[in-house]
Amino acid sequence: MTTLFINDVEVTVAPGTSILEACREQEVSVPYFCYHPELSVAANCRMCLVEIEGWNKPAASCCTPVAEGMKVTTQSESLDKDHKMTMEYLLINHPLDCPVCDQGGECKLQDYAVDYGASKGRYSEGKRAVNNYELGPFVTTAMTRCIHCTRCVRFADEIAGTGDIGVLNRGDHMSIAGIVDECLSSELSGNLPDVCPVGALLDGPSHDVSRPWELTRHKSTCTQCPNGCDIEIESRGDEVIRIQPVENSPEPWLCDRGRYVYDAFRSENRILTPCVRQDDGMQDSDWDDAVQRAVEQLSGKRIGMVISPFWSVEGYTAIRLLRDTAFPDAQVAFDLHRRDMRPFAFEEGFVQTTQQIEDADEVVVLGCDLRQRLPLMMQRLRKRLGNDKPVTRIGSMNYRSNADLSSEALIRPRDWSAVIARAMQQVMDLGKSAAGMKEWIAAVEDRHEAGKLLGDALMAGSCSLIVGEEIRCHPDAAALIHGLDLLMRGCGHAEADADGRNLVPEGMNAQVLSAVFGDVRSSAGDIFDAAAKGELDAILLVGSDPIGDGLFPVQARKALDNVPLVQVGAITGQISGGAQVMLPASAYSEIEGTFINMEGRVRVATNPIATIGEQRPLWKVMMRLVQALGHAVPVVNIEELRQQSIGFLPDLGQAWQSDAIDSFMMATPRHAKAAYLPAAVAADDKSLDVVSRYSLYREGMWARASALLSHAGVLHALDDVLVHPDTLQTLGLQQGMLTVVSEQGEQQFNIGTRDDVSPGVLFIAKHSVAGDLSNSVRISLRGGAA
Amino acid sequence: MSSAENPIFSEARLAEIKSVVERYPAAQSALLPVLHMAQEDFGYLSMPVQQLVADTLAVRLMAVREVVTFYTMFREQPCGKYLMEVCTNAGCMLNGANELAAHVCETLGINMGETTPDGLFTVTEVECAGACAGAPVVQINNEYHEKVDAAHMDAFIADARGQGGAA
Amino acid sequence: MISADPSKVTAICFDRIHHPNQHKLEVARANGAYKLLPKVLKEFSSEKIIEEVKTAGIRGRGGAGFPTGLKWSFVPRNTGKPIYLMCNADEGEPGTFKDRDIMRFDPHLLIEGMIMAGFALGVRDAYIYIRGEFLHEANVLNAAIEEAYAANLLGEHILGTDFSMNLTVHRGAGAYICGEETALIESVEGKAGRPRFKPPFPAVEGFYRCPTVVNNVETLSTIPAILEFGGAWHASIGVANNTGMKIFSVSGQVNKPGNYEVPLGTSLKTLIEEHCGGLQHGSLPKAVIPGGSSSPWLTAEHYDIPLTFDDLAKAGSMLGSGAIIVMDETADVLAVTRRLAHFYAHESCGQCTPCREGTGWLERVLVRIENGQGLPGDIAVLEDAAQYMAGRTICALADGAAAPVMSLIKHFPEAVRAGIVEKAA
Ligand SMILES: Cc1cc2nc3c(=O)[nH]c(=O)nc-3n(C[C@H](O)[C@H](O)[C@H](O)COP(=O)(O)O)c2cc1C
Ligand code: SF4
Ligand code: FES
Repeated sequence: MTTLFINDVEVTVAPGTSILEACREQEVSVPYFCYHPELSVAANCRMCLVEIEGWNKPAASCCTPVAEGMKVTTQSESLDKDHKMTMEYLLINHPLDCPVCDQGGECKLQDYAVDYGASKGRYSEGKRAVNNYELGPFVTTAMTRCIHCTRCVRFADEIAGTGDIGVLNRGDHMSIAGIVDECLSSELSGNLPDVCPVGALLDGPSHDVSRPWELTRHKSTCTQCPNGCDIEIESRGDEVIRIQPVENSPEPWLCDRGRYVYDAFRSENRILTPCVRQDDGMQDSDWDDAVQRAVEQLSGKRIGMVISPFWSVEGYTAIRLLRDTAFPDAQVAFDLHRRDMRPFAFEEGFVQTTQQIEDADEVVVLGCDLRQRLPLMMQRLRKRLGNDKPVTRIGSMNYRSNADLSSEALIRPRDWSAVIARAMQQVMDLGKSAAGMKEWIAAVEDRHEAGKLLGDALMAGSCSLIVGEEIRCHPDAAALIHGLDLLMRGCGHAEADADGRNLVPEGMNAQVLSAVFGDVRSSAGDIFDAAAKGELDAILLVGSDPIGDGLFPVQARKALDNVPLVQVGAITGQISGGAQVMLPASAYSEIEGTFINMEGRVRVATNPIATIGEQRPLWKVMMRLVQALGHAVPVVNIEELRQQSIGFLPDLGQAWQSDAIDSFMMATPRHAKAAYLPAAVAADDKSLDVVSRYSLYREGMWARASALLSHAGVLHALDDVLVHPDTLQTLGLQQGMLTVVSEQGEQQFNIGTRDDVSPGVLFIAKHSVAGDLSNSVRISLRGGAA
Repeated sequence: MSSAENPIFSEARLAEIKSVVERYPAAQSALLPVLHMAQEDFGYLSMPVQQLVADTLAVRLMAVREVVTFYTMFREQPCGKYLMEVCTNAGCMLNGANELAAHVCETLGINMGETTPDGLFTVTEVECAGACAGAPVVQINNEYHEKVDAAHMDAFIADARGQGGAA
Repeated sequence: MISADPSKVTAICFDRIHHPNQHKLEVARANGAYKLLPKVLKEFSSEKIIEEVKTAGIRGRGGAGFPTGLKWSFVPRNTGKPIYLMCNADEGEPGTFKDRDIMRFDPHLLIEGMIMAGFALGVRDAYIYIRGEFLHEANVLNAAIEEAYAANLLGEHILGTDFSMNLTVHRGAGAYICGEETALIESVEGKAGRPRFKPPFPAVEGFYRCPTVVNNVETLSTIPAILEFGGAWHASIGVANNTGMKIFSVSGQVNKPGNYEVPLGTSLKTLIEEHCGGLQHGSLPKAVIPGGSSSPWLTAEHYDIPLTFDDLAKAGSMLGSGAIIVMDETADVLAVTRRLAHFYAHESCGQCTPCREGTGWLERVLVRIENGQGLPGDIAVLEDAAQYMAGRTICALADGAAAPVMSLIKHFPEAVRAGIVEKAA
């Protein structure tokens, strides 16, 4: 540790800390523009000057490391003059348009102008002319206000990994610009306005809508992906204006999905009143009538339940109470992708925190489009790579990760067992093994070279696996995960304090869902099949859209042709066309509730935004149904409900009590006995493996209801069906209209090519007609017309 | 035909670029040398040329843009056949560079920084050429002309016009 | 021939420069180039060479005057990272034109110096960063390097030893700031030349974050003589703490402008009167810029000053690159200052607020004063701007921009006042 004096106060900080960081730790204020705790140091604004005893010039505190015994002064007459001069320089070319600037109230320049600025600048010539530029759908630029701190440039390089913002020209012609005619291709672009210390980069959607001081802030949790970031929802009355990241939370950034989904809260897709189907379509109704209609569809029936993974702990407990009281035989599906329902050796959820993964010696991403699925996890990996720490990726597509991975391999889903076997061979040759490994490897004939990357990484002191949907959704998932589990155990990466087995879940609350519904869990596909076959009488859907999302849209449609649908939720989806009744439940911004993210981090939202329609918190809707179905209501207030939750999640009792709730962690479920051997892989034929694409702008009913995200989805769109150029060559085909032969029959698609799709894979978008191929495992491709 | 609007590097150039890249720990280091070559081949660095350079070295277009706009010798616009760069910095200024520059502009009938309508001459003012003992200095297409006077420039212009007319 | 007697030395870097065809390897060798190299590579140790250079007391000829031996000793060895050597041949400081002569007339002297420096530092790849405008010089260097490779003076196993080194000429493209050593490194990395803040110093973390030594052409060209005659020999040329010969590039209003290599400690007057044939007009200079345009000006008062790093520092200026720009009694000092202000505004890399905004501001204020439209507060504006730019930025360009303005106000306040409209309009 290094001891120094800041304004005569002795302080001790880690060696290598900058003076500015040392001051921040001590809450000594030093003005700055270009410094940003998450970005590299640029030291260009020269606002952060301090005096150091024995130095003949003031020093920039952001780039000067502390030294033993150093005596730092942060305030003096001379520094005051320095700060005034820097402000005077910055204002030479800065417009004095604070009254009309969105940044007003949140602008560093404005703040410091109050503290240091001379009332009138002495510069009297004209100001420089500056061009605006295109930064994607969410960012509006007003570049005359730019102060050249280069934060946005560093953000694009280091955080977004796109490198498409740069510094052009030099001297006072220097300007910050994006590539002409290209929008920032980053899913993190919405952070740019936050990164900009002045009003040069502005939040497009909230531009000109409001002033910061008019807003009320609500702490909440984003439910748009399993990462469950802390968010601050800003509202004016009951209208959400902005969503912002929370300072000092684990993630300093928000992804565009979590940030811009808010326009869906007021979209026409919201379910704000109870509705019932009449001859001429869905009609608004009242609670009594709609509940009555629901009871007619459900009472005494054999039902299947399909629920979404973004409700609160309280919501899930209520769903479970409804099931147990009224439908004790009902199966529940909360994952629209999982086909293999055998228990997994390690279940959905992250056993490690994102920070632990960032710090691990090796990280291997297996079959996951991390940039779309978990944009902030991907950002952590990018950060790792920037610090020369390796990241390996094996999977069916190199999904434009905006990062130079240290090693990667493209494989087909059918290759997974051969990949794992190759890695097993390697670790066994080095004398590492786990009980069961011999049997596992004996069941696999082939070895795939991509497994070497995995084997190499497993040799490190610590190794984190991030296992994604290509494995989770695999028909033989339980066996593959067992294989990975054996590898991790054999190499010492499964011990309590060094467990690196992470499985990307479908959505938020993975641990909660496993705990609450683990024993009654079913595949959504199986529920729909049962309904189609007449084994069920009705489906109760709670906030999910199995036609718009997931692998089973075809089965879902068949099911609805056969049985009625009762929908409870905050928002409609493509499936709603088949609903008989819709009961409105509050959105995540409108409730008091508990969320647990993929890491097991507990968050409690306490100050909900006022309700804009007739919706009720989900748990109340559930209790109303229980009552209407003629049962005793098990809980009447949230305290009683939470007592029930504790029955499923005993740790929560403590969490709700504890002040340190923010860091409270819940364990990820494990199934020690889930030992399955891989099935034989069919001999290589000319068929292609189908992999369906996940887009953060288009997946999920909230995202689809958001006009902002949908617009971005169009800008970032790829062809609906993609293959590797070699795939066509092997089949002797040319790019263009081709025929896909699947269980759906023969369909014509315009097939695009990309180098980053694995040969032998048909990569499909789910939002289009191609989405009907989602549940196909293999298809074949041929030329010409059908 | 390869041009600034539709540029392609010749095989020989590509081989040369490869050997230049090998001299550095990373390909981006070859950016300045390759931009010099591209400017020689295509006359100026149009956007297609910048994209070509980015692709050839596998660097981002923005990395190329940053470099092209930073260095004064890289041109994003075409210039005259004879680029006359008059040093007007202190050493040359104290030896009549401003008067010389004015004379050249007047003779050609253009302002500083412009190109004659026939596309033959461009005159620009540059910073110290590093040859102050020969002040005033004019650099014409990479060649230093030292202790230049009006007569020297007149003769050069006349000569070039003669050639230009013949060509 | 360089004399082994320090008191008889008349030139070091320019010793062989006037031989016809000295740039050709054959001629250079006949005149003694690479004579000592086999012995250095075979018998000298790295430590010995660095020790000799320290003893020689040579201070960098590029501008900052930092002791070369000391800089070399900062390079961490055995970090597992390669060590790079970069010769700074950017020669952009207005008034400086000495390196050009070494490169075009005696390139092998520089190459030999770089091989020796590279050997001392354990370098595998060395670069010469030459300003883009010096195309002819770059061609001469490249031809000489090619000959040196063919003669096994560069490349693998130089002269049959275990030492291997590559040398590459890297052309800049018109940016004065790339003479600043960290900007130079950025430029060789293929980026815009924006200086890096220090620490870390390049000797520890430079080119691609590896240890990197940057030395001026003249500094490196002195190494062969130091190793041939010994550090003590070099230390006894010139004066204490300011040892050796130095090339002064003299330009402006003198009768015989040019490069003159003289012992450090020679007086300004001697240089101008005896070597440069005196001033064009009058007998006393109006102003002298003694160390390149970034150095504060001297006036006739200091005509006798010995040209050393220390004496010039004492007089409030600096020796810099040894570029002396002389203004005689006819000079328009305001116009010269305004022209230099334009230079700095044009050459600022743009990253630091005071430099980016301040250089342009200085120029525009000087322009209006030159046009007779200065405002009453302008002297204070100039003083403030100059003072609060200097020493507050990443590199010293801002200090350089401030120097002429401060000098003008200090020495010629009446020239400034004449351009100011006293009554606010
Ligand atoms: C703005 C600026 C421009 C510079 N230009 C040059 C130059 O053209 N040539 C040079 O050798 N050094 C130049 N320097 C000095 C270098 O940064 C560095 O100190 C020098 O190359 C070190 O070599 P030396 O120790 O041999 O002098 C410049 C410094 C600054 C701040
Ligand atoms: S002082 Fe000027 S030239 Fe030097 S780094 Fe700062 S802005 Fe660039
Ligand atoms: S914060 Fe230190 S220079 Fe900008």
